[in-house]
Amino acid sequence: MIKVASTTKTIICIGTGGVGKTTMSASLASGLSKDKKVLVLTIDPSLRLAQALGIKPDGEVYKVKQNLYACTLNHQKAFQDFVLKAAKSTATKEEIEKLLENKLYKQLSTQLSGSQDFSSLFKLTEFVNSKEYDIVILDTPPAQHTWHFLHAPEKIAQLFNEGVAQWFRDPDQKDVGFFKRVLNTGTSQVLKILENLTGSEFVKELSMFFKAIQRWQTPLEKQVWDCHKVLTAKSTEFILVTALDPSRISEALRLSSEIEKQGYNLKSIIINRVPSWMNEEVSAGPLVRYVEYLKALEARLLGSKSKFGAHLKVYKSQELSHNQLHVENLSDIYHNIELI
Amino acid sequence: MQKQQIHFVTGKGGVGKSFFAAALAQGLAKKAKFSPSKTAAHKPILLAEFNDHSFYQEYLGNNPAYFDLAQWTGTECLKEYALHLLKVEALYKLFFANPISKALIDVSPGLHELAILGRATSLPRKHGPPLKYQHMVFDAFSTGHFLTMFRSPAGLAKIIQFGPMGEQTRSIDQWIRNPEFCHVHLVSLPEELPATETAELYHSIKDEFGLTPKVYLNKYFFLKKADLKNEPESVKKYFTNMLEQQELAENIFTDQKIKFTPVPLIPEIDTEKLLHEASEYLVKEVL
Repeated sequence: MIKVASTTKTIICIGTGGVGKTTMSASLASGLSKDKKVLVLTIDPSLRLAQALGIKPDGEVYKVKQNLYACTLNHQKAFQDFVLKAAKSTATKEEIEKLLENKLYKQLSTQLSGSQDFSSLFKLTEFVNSKEYDIVILDTPPAQHTWHFLHAPEKIAQLFNEGVAQWFRDPDQKDVGFFKRVLNTGTSQVLKILENLTGSEFVKELSMFFKAIQRWQTPLEKQVWDCHKVLTAKSTEFILVTALDPSRISEALRLSSEIEKQGYNLKSIIINRVPSWMNEEVSAGPLVRYVEYLKALEARLLGSKSKFGAHLKVYKSQELSHNQLHVENLSDIYHNIELI
Repeated sequence: MQKQQIHFVTGKGGVGKSFFAAALAQGLAKKAKFSPSKTAAHKPILLAEFNDHSFYQEYLGNNPAYFDLAQWTGTECLKEYALHLLKVEALYKLFFANPISKALIDVSPGLHELAILGRATSLPRKHGPPLKYQHMVFDAFSTGHFLTMFRSPAGLAKIIQFGPMGEQTRSIDQWIRNPEFCHVHLVSLPEELPATETAELYHSIKDEFGLTPKVYLNKYFFLKKADLKNEPESVKKYFTNMLEQQELAENIFTDQKIKFTPVPLIPEIDTEKLLHEASEYLVKEVL
């Protein structure tokens, strides 16, 4: 069992792909839902897990059982929610439609690396601030590096930055007085270079995009800031999920030290999918070699345990076999997590 | 020199793409009869990763024996492209030092990915500094991001129809669709769901780009059910389940007429020994 502080309202599960992060997030949610109302936000869950939870990938919240709720994020919808939320008080229906039709917006909301990270963070913030749940658990996107996820607000903030927007709203600088135009020569030269590099059509699309979002600048910036606040709040706890694999362990070591340096609240590390049978006596040749390998890995891990921060709790969780994944078993996974 | 070939290694996160890409690079070097003892010789193989933080350096050092190692980030590739096009260093500095253009480049969808593809295809397009390797192996992005990257030239070509970048994007798009030059390697795990997803990706790549990807089942356990008869119950149960999953995965590919190669799980902690064993296997079975 893994201990979570009584003040914790948000849990963010991080780690590289293929370590079973999504199932672990769902297991934590299931275990914690015994005493608290919990929502788990998953990203691209495996079909098996989605079936176990009884959820569809449509961005809606489903009740799994008493006190346990689950939702699969729909990025395009979430990004649209983000823009619409900022726009709704000031923009007309036509203005909003114009933006949603913009080619650049379309690419941005679906293809920008980082927009997935950001839209999941935006939904997390919305759910946390709604105060509808005692704990919201986020399974982070399969980013190669958690940095992309943590820096998503900055990246999006850059886009909605006043300077950038102002510049594009009026690329010809027709509305600007003579002096300002002179001051901006550097910028217009930069714009020319951009045109040379990309072509005038691209610049035109950009300018249309920024014109469209012009009035929503302030609410958009506030939303980005709210997301950042959730990431750094004391009531937000990070859990790093890793696996018994040489490259994953050193990645976990590096990630945990970097993440702590940046001041995020990392509390625990879970070594996931540790085979339960690895201390059994085996005789078949390939199995003997495999068990030796697993033991060597475990020894290496125990040897490097002290390299993880002293206040960090390191846990292990046993590997499940493939046909064991049912919603009732999720709580068992949680209860079987052992401190090492 | 033999005509250059480029290899993109992709698959879902956590299937062992980076490991496979390194083993492939080493296997291709062995096949090209490159021997690391001739230290003066120019290495015919490049292994490049697109990460901001290098994954390989920790395991392979700066100068691995069989291939050159490089880190290609979108930002760096884009700078190279801009410099090549703008010619004048001062102009380029002005552009990249400007905080506005910096922010813009950071968020422009597909621009970084396009720049990476631009560099990958620079030799046949005769554009940019020549990379005279016989094979370039890329530890590429995982599934979704990989498709985004491959779609970026066509996508941007739609937005930018005219001007130099429009021309570039079209030519990059043509080269990544050339099956003699560009190869896609899909790494998967021998389990039902990863195999289903890999089959989907296989069809997307085949239908959209006309390339036939090579499929690998990584961490394949060469074992028969009969081998388990004397094992403890928990071991028997675990591996029987694993073998069933392997069979399900194989059936998925066989049913869809997709050729695949199993790549054995090599229980080896030492990186050098691991790559040796894996590359020998690839030379024997695949290359």
